[in-house]
Amino acid sequence: MSPFDPLREQLASAAAAFGDGLVDDVEQALKTDVEIFPVCHHSPASALAMVRRLREKQPKVIYLELCEDLRPVLEELRNCRLPVALQAFASDIDGFPPDWAPLSVIAPITESSAEYQAIAYALDTPGVEIVLVDRSVDHVFQWEPRAGAAADVGIEIGDLRPGFAALEEHLLHHGKVRHWSEWWDQYVEQPLSGADYATYRQVMVLIGSLFRRLNPQGNEVDEDRERYMWTRMREHLAATGTDPAQCLYVCGAFHAASPVLDERLDISPRTATTWLYGLIPASHSAIEEQFGLAPGSVSIAAATWSKSVRRSGLTPYKLGGKSTRTDLPPSAPGETEDRLSGFLTQPPSLDGFDEAELLGWCVEIVRLARRNGYLASTADAIAVYETSILLAGMRNRKRPTPYDFQDAAVTCIEKDVVPGRRDVRRLCEILLGGDKIGQVGYDSLPPLARDVLDRLQPLGLDLEKRTIQRALIDLDAHPELEPCSHLLWILRRLLPGDAVRPIMGSRRLGERSHQESWDLAIGRNQRSIIELGYEGVTIEQVLEQRLRRACWDEKATAATALDAVEDAILYLGSRRLTEELGARAVELLAGERTVDDAPDVLRRIRRLLAHHRAVEPELPAWAKSFVTTGYAHYCTLLPTAFVEEETGVRQVGAMLGFLFTMESLALSLGCDRAQLELAVQQSHPEAPAKVALLWTARFQLGLLSMAELRERVGELLGNPLVVPSVPQYVSGFVQALESAPALAPFVVEVLSRAFGQLPDSVLLPWLPKLITTLRDQAPELVPVLVREAGRTFPALLADVDSFTPPWLARAPRKAVARPASGPVSELLAVHHETGAAVAELLGCAAVPVAGPSGEVAALLAAHPQTGEAVAGVLTAG
Amino acid sequence: MLRAPAEIKYADELDYLESIDTGFKPFSWRLSPRMVRIFVLGSERSDGLDREIPQKWFGDRSFVERSIVTLASDRGLLLIGDPGTGKSWLAELLAAAISRNSTLVVQGTAGTTEDHIKYSWNVSMVIAKGQSRESMIPSPIMTAMERGVIGRFEELTRSTSDVQDALISILSEKYVSIPELDDDNIVFAQPGFSIIATANSRDRGVNDLSSALKRRFNFVRIPVVTNKKSEAEIVRFRTAELLRRHQIDLELPPTLLDILLQSFADLRAAAASATGEDEKLESALSTAEQIGVLEDAILHSRFFGDSTLKAATLAGSLVGSLARRSPEDLAILNKYLHGVVEPRSKQDEGGSWKEFLDGGRNAIATLS
Repeated sequence: MSPFDPLREQLASAAAAFGDGLVDDVEQALKTDVEIFPVCHHSPASALAMVRRLREKQPKVIYLELCEDLRPVLEELRNCRLPVALQAFASDIDGFPPDWAPLSVIAPITESSAEYQAIAYALDTPGVEIVLVDRSVDHVFQWEPRAGAAADVGIEIGDLRPGFAALEEHLLHHGKVRHWSEWWDQYVEQPLSGADYATYRQVMVLIGSLFRRLNPQGNEVDEDRERYMWTRMREHLAATGTDPAQCLYVCGAFHAASPVLDERLDISPRTATTWLYGLIPASHSAIEEQFGLAPGSVSIAAATWSKSVRRSGLTPYKLGGKSTRTDLPPSAPGETEDRLSGFLTQPPSLDGFDEAELLGWCVEIVRLARRNGYLASTADAIAVYETSILLAGMRNRKRPTPYDFQDAAVTCIEKDVVPGRRDVRRLCEILLGGDKIGQVGYDSLPPLARDVLDRLQPLGLDLEKRTIQRALIDLDAHPELEPCSHLLWILRRLLPGDAVRPIMGSRRLGERSHQESWDLAIGRNQRSIIELGYEGVTIEQVLEQRLRRACWDEKATAATALDAVEDAILYLGSRRLTEELGARAVELLAGERTVDDAPDVLRRIRRLLAHHRAVEPELPAWAKSFVTTGYAHYCTLLPTAFVEEETGVRQVGAMLGFLFTMESLALSLGCDRAQLELAVQQSHPEAPAKVALLWTARFQLGLLSMAELRERVGELLGNPLVVPSVPQYVSGFVQALESAPALAPFVVEVLSRAFGQLPDSVLLPWLPKLITTLRDQAPELVPVLVREAGRTFPALLADVDSFTPPWLARAPRKAVARPASGPVSELLAVHHETGAAVAELLGCAAVPVAGPSGEVAALLAAHPQTGEAVAGVLTAG
Repeated sequence: MLRAPAEIKYADELDYLESIDTGFKPFSWRLSPRMVRIFVLGSERSDGLDREIPQKWFGDRSFVERSIVTLASDRGLLLIGDPGTGKSWLAELLAAAISRNSTLVVQGTAGTTEDHIKYSWNVSMVIAKGQSRESMIPSPIMTAMERGVIGRFEELTRSTSDVQDALISILSEKYVSIPELDDDNIVFAQPGFSIIATANSRDRGVNDLSSALKRRFNFVRIPVVTNKKSEAEIVRFRTAELLRRHQIDLELPPTLLDILLQSFADLRAAAASATGEDEKLESALSTAEQIGVLEDAILHSRFFGDSTLKAATLAGSLVGSLARRSPEDLAILNKYLHGVVEPRSKQDEGGSWKEFLDGGRNAIATLS
């Protein structure tokens, strides 16, 4: 049985279904005047064949299946450590559905890919031109079906994965492999790694054709792409007059087996969207995820690549490396021969079993396992070795592949629990190359990212490292680090989550840190910084644009604008921008028809006013205008807000808060108090909480006295029909604290009376709600209440008995019968007749004053000495 | 025979495979590793066999391959997993395919002693004739050693640690000495001897394996099948077998199978998101339990119903088999019925979910 039996079987059934189509495809693809080089992405076999072919043929022009507008970025690959990805990015889109923004296309490049070899050859060899011929990124989205949302599209260069799950499942099942990468490795990659060019080419086209024909539907876009590429190639050939024989067309095997070879397409113009291009770091795991490959497969491909390079003695092309010319003699341009029959009918000449490599792996995995807490020993290394060979034999492989080795290691070393953070499978991935993460070199970074690195230079940290760096900034001792700290705060505002994290220090209006310490993970978040670079040239510009965008957004509200103003003051310190954003806030406020944001607006404008009062002699114009506009605006909306059901108590409370706390400022700026009075008079709320708010507003305006207010509350508590809604009144009073902090004693009084008088059936369900509402809606009011309560209520247990709440202080005191003690009571006890007589005279019931009685009296009588001794001790003390 | 061991039940398949097997057979194996795999996992067209070998164990192919390879090496095989994941069935199939004998089994319990895995004496014969090889009763494991075949040890972690320790020397030295005898007092294992043990991962911590014993076993963890398609396959396969055994002619409507699979999937999802033991069903919700539920429902409708399986009966069996603790399990099932099944029955007008819901409600009402 040969490893190709499954494939043969596949082909037999396919041949029955498709007739000679497959072979026709191959023949046609080999006949074109421009030589087609079919590739598969991340396939070392492709890359190796590419190196061989390039050394042999030395083509003058290379046509590559890659978005044509990515061409300028290719030059930048010199400065990078692979894998990196070419990225096209557009945030201002024009001509696409607006909800698609931002658009992004990512094309990762690894060293072991044929495309990279072609790029490196073309860029480093004088006189060679590389032409990208695939549709531009703009067309990628133009051809996208409009209904679906497009997010982070990955360009699949030379992808060769069957497009539909059923075929893949079939292949995997019959190939007796677990996943696609393993299938490809076993049935295509390994047999082709030593094959000559003609065989390689024919087999790749054949496979491309097979997948294409198995799924004849839904290829329209691909056909258009192929026409696009041929159109571009022909245009280039016509324009430069290059001999087609001097060219090499590198494309995915799928496209090599195209039914529309050498056809033309009328290319539509691009949309007006502005695209920005750059490089971002990529990683093996990111590539695996993007293309749905099995974990570890790209790493294994990279390991296979370096091994094949070593064994074949070829020198791969490498950008920026020293070019050592080891050109192969050009092979005689022979007739096209049939290499397929040979390939498909004979078992491949696999390279022999590499004992040393396997032994190395076995020893290494045991070492790694031991380091990760496993009880692994040399015996395990031997067992892994034996098991790998047995497994490979059972799976029809001449030599154990990394996948067999991985299975063997798991079988022999993994026990019932994983002792450390990594299990054996993960350790094998690490052993076989691990996840490699690329880095974009300094010179290829966009100006913004370079600027950030330059400006953080004084910190003396190597920010390109992928580890977290701790920056300690003592701003008192080293004032020159102030700009660094400032930049870090801006980065914190712009970058996601953990890229820049302050451990110590804070930045808020009116605050300044003396010392700061930061955890910086800038190297790890290179991509985010590069993407910031698409938005502007400096970090300040990006922030300014973002603030502006936030303010002029369709959904912007006065609260967001105020937030932006605050950020502008904190991070940019530009008076012009602050003024502009402030003016926008005024505009937004005046245009608002709802008061949903009133609490936020109130909080923010208070903070901003406090800041301006502290640093400047006079308020800025926008702030004055905001206060006067706000006063008029909220006065106008007050009557409706009181009545509308959708408007919450909190919102109305905040409106009143704005009106009353800013009142003096507003009046000094020319507002009229009558407006507010009228507004309050026009308000006729029905909801209990809002009624309470209205009462407090009227109290504030002097239309209601404290006594009246008390009386109303008393009525509420006394009326059994209203009692169930008392809690809502109370919440209204609590919200009123926003506008009238002076009401705190009254609110405490109301709360205490409510607690004291409400029946349990009303009180108990309400209590938890009260606590949660207070915490959610009025966290800043709670301390005021607590402080007031602390002032009102006794602090010590002993004082509780004699405590009279202040609101009861003026009420007539009831006589309370209290057991008297001390000399007075003794006197009374002895002469209780006198007391009784006086009481009778005064018209009170006699209070019997009990002397010691019963058992106690008997005890005292029996042991008089004890009592005397105690009395002696007490008096002596 | 109520239940024939695999080597008898599939005797003709094994004979056939042995007759065409040209591959290399390790030790005294009756089949080559590749044929063992075909026997367990079924044949493909590409295997080029004249007759089709049905699949007998459903699960990831690599588990079977790793198990077979382990048996060909000098380590024992320990199948570990939740109850009802098919560990013992796989062990039986492997033993049957490799050595045509899957009955050399020791059941690990708290009462298992060293005698059970080594040897004991026929007391009356010892009194009559003295200690000799004739008066010795070899354990299944010792028999397996002598014959060079596979011995099985079920529920290894249930047996106490001294019993487990006795296995260490068997697995590493591959002989058992009989100090009571003066000569012929060592039983050496013949080539081909190995042990397949199973352990229940829920029992972890009862009698933990020593690291010395762990070293001598390769662990293959069998997960609970969560792939709906292969689970349906397993349930169908086992139920067909059951129906045949009980000689029941009963239609199993595919919608009911779907309901069963879906409800187990839902309950598993609920168990996975539960935070405490009380929010989880005590049952492991394995495939075997699904089969148990289905078998119960089938038998119930065969003997007490009108010989068609109804959704209500299925619901009754589901509640009956899964409600082990009262009130915790009942509460969970109640929550499941009202939170998940009820909305679904409203969505799926006229489907069987409604009937399933009613059946479940009744069963819960009866139990609580």
